[in-house]
Amino acid sequence: MRKSERKLTTCYTCLECKSCQNLTKRKFEPSDFVFKNDGKCSDCDGDLLVTMIFGKTIE
Amino acid sequence: MSDESNPLMMLLWIIPIIVLVFYGQRIQLYVSANEIKKDITKLEEFKNESRQKLISYIKNNLKPKDDPVQKIDSFLEYFTIMPVDLDPNGIIPKINHLVHSRDDFTRLQVRNLFNEISDFEITKIHNLLEIVTSLQMFHKITRHLYLTAKKQKNFPLILPLQMMIPFIMEEASALKDAVESLKDGQPIGDGIGPMIVGEMMLNTSKQNAAFETVWSKSELEGRELILVKAEGPNATVGRPGEAIQNIIPQNKPTLIIMVDAALKLEGEDSASIAKGFGAAIGGIGTERFKIEEVATKNSIPILAIVIKQTIHEAITLMSEDVANQAKSVKSQIHEMIKDNSKSGDTVMVVGVGNTLGVSQ
Repeated sequence: MRKSERKLTTCYTCLECKSCQNLTKRKFEPSDFVFKNDGKCSDCDGDLLVTMIFGKTIE
Repeated sequence: MSDESNPLMMLLWIIPIIVLVFYGQRIQLYVSANEIKKDITKLEEFKNESRQKLISYIKNNLKPKDDPVQKIDSFLEYFTIMPVDLDPNGIIPKINHLVHSRDDFTRLQVRNLFNEISDFEITKIHNLLEIVTSLQMFHKITRHLYLTAKKQKNFPLILPLQMMIPFIMEEASALKDAVESLKDGQPIGDGIGPMIVGEMMLNTSKQNAAFETVWSKSELEGRELILVKAEGPNATVGRPGEAIQNIIPQNKPTLIIMVDAALKLEGEDSASIAKGFGAAIGGIGTERFKIEEVATKNSIPILAIVIKQTIHEAITLMSEDVANQAKSVKSQIHEMIKDNSKSGDTVMVVGVGNTLGVSQ
């Protein structure tokens, strides 16, 4: 198998709390999209916003 | 008797030389053709794999009225006849009409496959169809050139194919890998422009600017900002040219800034940022023409800021490096606005690219 074929990409979703600016990262879920309001912050109950969705490649 | 004077040894040298003189080109053709044949097999696998994934996605995730296989296969065979270019005067509106008609037709046909389907899913299926059609086209054309060269024993015909095949394979591999991101609705590298402008549009009132394209107003240190991007999170590039043509007469911006992904040159760093002049937009050229025309008519300078990527990065899931550049690009856009306009001016910022998985 070639080197490029051994790569495995995992998709992550980054969330930011609009109140306390707390950043969290979790695995991508099918309904996620960037700038989606995604529930409440566990620390301050502020609104969570999806700020980034990206792939991380593990070789 | 030494080796040099032995007639048998001389023959051993002379025979291969004679063989190579008369059959060298044929041997070279055979070796090159074998390499190309392997790539053609791979292209066929890419096409079949992508087609199968599209059909499975439709059958498992959406509810088609009937079996979609026959319809999907007929889509793949559609072709586009470009307008006559003997007299290039007025060819752009003709190409524009042709491309829009083709898109409208495909969208309608996709919609007709289902009783109920969201616009988001229609744009995804539309993009997936484009991918499978492109892979089918790559496979058909390379196979045609290969078989013609073999049939006619035409060595010069295999040479351009041999030179082009690594580029074709790179693009085909990227297209094949793009299927997964499209199916899952994940942002692709090309979406970095819409992602940056989308963030600037948060908490503003969005209006329709053109088909699948939105705009809104914002403010930066006394300057009025007009923000334009394709309507996310759909898998679309929108019609930025048409949108800019519609917005400019009423709002009269003094500067246009375009943000887009650009293909990096070999040796350049991925996710590096570059600034320049002119309309940063790819595609067939009709949208760029519209932007250049309206900007020239109104004497509006166009600045561009691009995020460099490989073809693979641009059409597959956005990489962490590219996503992390969003903040830096945004601050550079702000700098460009402040450096090139004064308080009270209106500046238009356009996020160009496929906005799949990126809202506003």
